[in-house]
Amino acid sequence: MNIIETKNLTKTFQRFQKEPGLKGSMKGLFKRKYLMKSAVSDFTLTVEEGEFIGLIGPNGAGKTTLIKMLTGIIAPSNGEISVAGHYPNKLENSFKRQYAVVMGQKSQLFFELSANDTFLLFKELYNIPEDEYRKNLDYFIALFGVTDILDVQVRTLSLGERMKLELIVALLHNPKILFLDEPTIGLDAVAQKQIRKFLKEVNETKGTTIILTSHYMEDIKSLCKRCVVINEGKKLFDGDTDLLFKKYQTHKKVTVSFVQEDHFTSEIDFIPLEKSPYKTTLLIKKELSQELLKDLLVRYELDDISIEEEDIGNVVERIYNDKSGVSE
Amino acid sequence: MRKDIEIIKLIFKTQLVWRFDIAANVLFTISKIVFAYIVWSAVFGEKEMIAGFTFHTMLSYYIISSFLSQLDMSERIGWDISSAIRGGTFSKFMVLPINTERYFIARTIGASAFHLLFHLIAAVIWIFIFQIRFAFTGDIYMLLSAACFVIIGLLFMMQLNYMLGILTFQFGNIDVFLMIKSTLVSFITGTLVPLILLPASIVAFMRVFPFYYITYLPSMLLIGQNRDEIITGIITLSLWVLAFVPVNKLLYHRLRVRFDGVGI
Repeated sequence: MNIIETKNLTKTFQRFQKEPGLKGSMKGLFKRKYLMKSAVSDFTLTVEEGEFIGLIGPNGAGKTTLIKMLTGIIAPSNGEISVAGHYPNKLENSFKRQYAVVMGQKSQLFFELSANDTFLLFKELYNIPEDEYRKNLDYFIALFGVTDILDVQVRTLSLGERMKLELIVALLHNPKILFLDEPTIGLDAVAQKQIRKFLKEVNETKGTTIILTSHYMEDIKSLCKRCVVINEGKKLFDGDTDLLFKKYQTHKKVTVSFVQEDHFTSEIDFIPLEKSPYKTTLLIKKELSQELLKDLLVRYELDDISIEEEDIGNVVERIYNDKSGVSE
Repeated sequence: MRKDIEIIKLIFKTQLVWRFDIAANVLFTISKIVFAYIVWSAVFGEKEMIAGFTFHTMLSYYIISSFLSQLDMSERIGWDISSAIRGGTFSKFMVLPINTERYFIARTIGASAFHLLFHLIAAVIWIFIFQIRFAFTGDIYMLLSAACFVIIGLLFMMQLNYMLGILTFQFGNIDVFLMIKSTLVSFITGTLVPLILLPASIVAFMRVFPFYYITYLPSMLLIGQNRDEIITGIITLSLWVLAFVPVNKLLYHRLRVRFDGVGI
């Protein structure tokens, strides 16, 4: 059963364009020029109950705008939208009780108080019965291992600790859908891993439908079976995550630090990204990465080496340039 | 109702976190009483009465009205909503399963309840120290009526500030509206000077508007004056509150669709 359905969903923003300088500001006082920006365009999407979907795309691709429309925060300019059987922008309380949204920079926690105080507020706001509240709270506290920080003033917590509590607040009322906008942004590797584990468990045990936007490939790869790639408001890819990465994530990003000043050269084909006397960053085709490593170890004295997945932007660009069309 | 009480409690708890702020607020109340004592002593000089007020009734009026105006924390609603809309953080209130006006009103009641408690303690101590003969009425009807005016009046101010706040959806910036409102309100509520000192025609005109009943009339009732204005006052103020219910609902419904949530 589809819990989310959109058809030709479009959102266009009007943006004020000001000419530079004081003269431009004065001119803008009397006559204004507006630019129309299409943030989401003809977007059709269906999501089944219990799915865990990744929304990926570069900055300004339209991911957050889509989430804002799905949660009712903003009204679409055109198209059809239905979330849990509701038109989101009506903002009915019965609809709002069915989802939760966590946005990196929009905390629901009260910073001056402890997380326990915010939990109590949410218990009342969502009319959560006492036994259900207790059960959920105990479950999430154990899952995250946050017992020690529940009575600590939120503003003194680290970003990772705050994000864990933010997720607990969001899930206390057992929402059917959880929207997550960059939940792991700025977190260290350990916290990212813990959050991924938590989300996976929530999706599997509670059957919560999760829509996740992230810049981190690892988030998408390890959590989402299906992913949707957006660029310039348009859907470029909608399908199996493994297939997407197999087909389009063709390179690895390698960063090498040398013990002494050195200039890296190689017969193996690579794309240089950054070069300094002590450090080189490059992109190499996956199948050539092993060969490159051997070459590096033999010919250079290395201080450090790191191999990462290539940035999301490159993947999107490759899909965009792939004239064979959008995969399903 | 439990939702509102929890929000009120939460804001009350938030205020209690800042100990220096509490101390500064108490000192502020004290300084107002001291200032009033010095100013009105100088104004009265040898005179027994000014515009029907004795020195002690004038001082009582001033302390009560400034106390009531301090209780009115509604101005925060306008500023908070405005900055949340402009910063894109208003979305966090939109996704909660509670009417946003109700949420902001409950928040303000929480802040007012905190000030009521601490200012009251400070005021009582200082009235005792200065040995001000407080001209409080013993008439229960007038006391209860004054309490009604204060409650309905504060509710009206919250509605007004909420309305100004949500105008940010339309105008983008409402700082000037809020500043003009603030200046006008401190004058027309009688917080600066008793309205009785103004020409009768102006006072009669002010009776049509709600501001007359927010600080001035309850202050006068508490010192045992203006009893005959209770019924018309309650009706006028209640009508304003009732009128603002659909106005705010309609405005929010119409204007919120302009929200683009920038800043997220």
